[in-house]
Amino acid sequence: MALQAGFVKRVRDIMRMDAGINGDAQRIEQMVWMLFLKVYDAKEDDWELNEDNYTSIIPEEFRWRNWAVADDNGHAMTGDELLDFVNNKLFPTLKNLSVDPSTPVKKAIVKSTFEDANNYMKDGVYLRQVIDVINEIEFDDVKESHDFGFVYEEILRDLQSAGSSGEFYTPRAVTDFMALMIQPKLGEKMADFACGTGGFITSWLGQLQKQVTDTEAQKQFDDSIYGIEKKPFPYLLCVTNMLLHDIEVPNIYHDNSLRRNLLDYTEDDKFDVILMNPPYGGHEDKSIQGFFPDDLASSETADLFMSVIMYRLKKNGRAAVIIPDGFLFGLDNAKVAIKTKLLTEFNLHTVVRLPGSVFSPYTSISTNLLFFDNTGSTKETWFYRVDMPSDRKHFSKTKPMELKHFDDCIAWWNDRKEITLEDGPKAQKFTVDYLLNEQGCNLDLCGYPHEEEEVLDPLDTIRNYQEKRAALNAEIDHVLDQLEALLPGGVTE
Amino acid sequence: MTPERLKASILQAAIQGKLVEQIVGEQCPDLSKLKKKKTEEIEFELPDTWQFAHLESISVSVASKQFQIAAAEFKTAGKYPVISQSKEYIIGYSDNDKMLYHHDNPVIVFGDHTTIVKYVDFDFVVGADGVKIFSPNANIITAKFFGYVMEYYSTGLEKVGGYSRHYKFIKDKPFPIPPIEEQQRIVAKIEELIPLVEQYSRHYEKLEQFNAKFPEEMKKSILQYAIHGKLVEQRPEEGTAEELYQQIQEEKQKLIKAGKIKKEKSLTAIKDDEIPYDIPESWKWVKLGDVVSLLSGSDFPPSKYNDKGEGMPYMTGASNIVADQLIINRWTPTPNNISHLNDLLLVCKGSGYGKTVINTIGDVHIARQFMSFQYGLPISYKYLGFYLQSQIGTIKQNGQGVIPGIDRTFVLNMLLPLPPQKEQQRIVKKIEELLPYCDRLIR
Repeated sequence: MALQAGFVKRVRDIMRMDAGINGDAQRIEQMVWMLFLKVYDAKEDDWELNEDNYTSIIPEEFRWRNWAVADDNGHAMTGDELLDFVNNKLFPTLKNLSVDPSTPVKKAIVKSTFEDANNYMKDGVYLRQVIDVINEIEFDDVKESHDFGFVYEEILRDLQSAGSSGEFYTPRAVTDFMALMIQPKLGEKMADFACGTGGFITSWLGQLQKQVTDTEAQKQFDDSIYGIEKKPFPYLLCVTNMLLHDIEVPNIYHDNSLRRNLLDYTEDDKFDVILMNPPYGGHEDKSIQGFFPDDLASSETADLFMSVIMYRLKKNGRAAVIIPDGFLFGLDNAKVAIKTKLLTEFNLHTVVRLPGSVFSPYTSISTNLLFFDNTGSTKETWFYRVDMPSDRKHFSKTKPMELKHFDDCIAWWNDRKEITLEDGPKAQKFTVDYLLNEQGCNLDLCGYPHEEEEVLDPLDTIRNYQEKRAALNAEIDHVLDQLEALLPGGVTE
Repeated sequence: MTPERLKASILQAAIQGKLVEQIVGEQCPDLSKLKKKKTEEIEFELPDTWQFAHLESISVSVASKQFQIAAAEFKTAGKYPVISQSKEYIIGYSDNDKMLYHHDNPVIVFGDHTTIVKYVDFDFVVGADGVKIFSPNANIITAKFFGYVMEYYSTGLEKVGGYSRHYKFIKDKPFPIPPIEEQQRIVAKIEELIPLVEQYSRHYEKLEQFNAKFPEEMKKSILQYAIHGKLVEQRPEEGTAEELYQQIQEEKQKLIKAGKIKKEKSLTAIKDDEIPYDIPESWKWVKLGDVVSLLSGSDFPPSKYNDKGEGMPYMTGASNIVADQLIINRWTPTPNNISHLNDLLLVCKGSGYGKTVINTIGDVHIARQFMSFQYGLPISYKYLGFYLQSQIGTIKQNGQGVIPGIDRTFVLNMLLPLPPQKEQQRIVKKIEELLPYCDRLIR
């Protein structure tokens, strides 16, 4: 456990002195490619032991054990020599490794992870110091690698800058809760089409681990996951994460899930379980909407992902998705079409509402968990509101949400009753008729009574305002459409 | 588009014959036997089958005073409804048989002062002055159509002339007369559209209120972001707040020794569970009293101040703050609690408590409604000002009492997230850059 205490702080303190590192995002990126090589090196030890003819894809002199570790005489490269080696030899080599379709994934992964990696540090002496700290990690002890998982989590949580740096990390408590409630079974295949650093996959594996009793099971275990991540940096983190979990051939792809014709998906593209937190307010080219049929096309990436999920969920498959409030109350044409499809073609059985600070400090935006399956159309939907524990006003980086904060919800899950508190309904069910007609697909139910008073971060304040204004405008337009239809010359659809 | 405008455009289309189609064969009623009265020019083109007339030719005006009861006589339940000029359709009830207006044909009520138009097809009692009752000639014009024409001409009138009488503005307007069947079709159409206009009105109101709140929300959001340390980046070369804190303590000691500020009782340390949120590592949580010197004010009786300019300016309270500037309206020749140039003033009592303003005037005496943060310590008073602005919610919560306001103890114990000095300045600069945009959002 000595590993955890101060590891991140020590590395951060060293990097702080290097002029090349500008800001937290670069600092994390820097830490991570080095960790990857260290982790990969440890894995290669295992592979060499277990396989007869294992050869590394990395040329000998560029393997971590040969350049980063001190030699028998205690000498190790440092200063300008180290800097030159890393910038002019190591990186170019790893970026240009020879890879073709027949290359095993666990080897090809080195090239793909270095495709967009960068060495930001400009001082070889500090670089040496950081490498030394990283080298202190020993992987012989299995426990150590689990501890390292925690350190890894801390690094991910450490991403201070809100928005673009932090958007690919979902709090562990939430992914664990969703994986728990989805009840993984050995033999099933799960997918996360925007897997980020692999949080959902990790939680899924955590649940499934208990069912692994033999090598056959182990194989099913390894094959049970599938992830796509668009951004190179989180992709690198995810791959490293998978290696840490002994998934040697992780089905993680560096790609953009939205860049495929929605209507082209076949049975082979479908999964038993989908767990994900699609990015909201994503920056996608307008051309991406061309891959979607007109009624489902939207400029909001979360909307597009909902459609991808619906098209890639197997018959009788189960899904749990995190979506923002805007999806619940939004009434623009695309959202109404998507929600109508969700309610009429899928069984949206549960909506769990989460308090605003769950994703703190990345964003203060309010999120919700949609649980649905592909067994038929919805008859009724249960809404449940998770309330803040009484011991605090907000979740924060130092006091984040934990799985235990879901205990009430878990207890309620299999014995569902309506609950009404002083300030409003906490758990209530609604018929699909009510949701489609009276509510007109506005699913903002069992919400938080004092949400209005929360002061959000400026970017979230703006987004929230724009979404709500769009929803109000959509309602107004709906009334005006009806009015128009009754006027001479008005368009009637 | 306001709901009023939408309704007006629908009514306008109605009275111009554009809302429903004209049907061949329908004839306008015979107007030849009517008393002719001159109307204003008709400003639009009428359909061929239509004519127009003066409202007093096509309806009978019923004197309402004979059916009027006083407001004091209204009951909440009774035999007969009471109708007045109010927005509410029925304002009350009465059992007064003598005052009942009985009529066999529907009438239109026009509020002379309020310009409210009502269609009434039951017997009623009149509840106010200025209730004009018209009984339209059913052979010429249906009461409902008459009412809608009247409503159209009343659009926007309520803004003219306040509470004075408005009938004079509409009495000579040309009332279009379509064939009776067409009048009925027009009325049916209008009544189909009105519920939608009302729905629209409700949504519109919601949107207006929602938009009105936004600029303030944006401001709050920016201020909160700033004091959480997220608005600008931290720069290690600027040092830490801990260092600044020590500096401030040293400065304080110097000023105390020089007699410039008074020594204060030391404040209790901040407990872990009192800390409301995470701040950057280079910052420090402090109590406000630790890093400022706070001067309280004292009230003078009128005998000790004047409005003639004699002596030092005397600041009474929030009434001296206009458009975020201090204004002088009183002076005192015997000042005592003196705030100096660049001190930060906080209104701590009275209706405007929580407001802050920087003393740009110079030496002024402050009354008890003010507290002054004395300038001279190495802390940005603009940053402090923005910090206090961001705490207005907490301040107001704490100030609820018989006498609204906050006391010295509360102010001294407020928890302040302290950034390094240069960062305070960068934060202030950034906020000052962003706030004008929020102001521009206010329509």
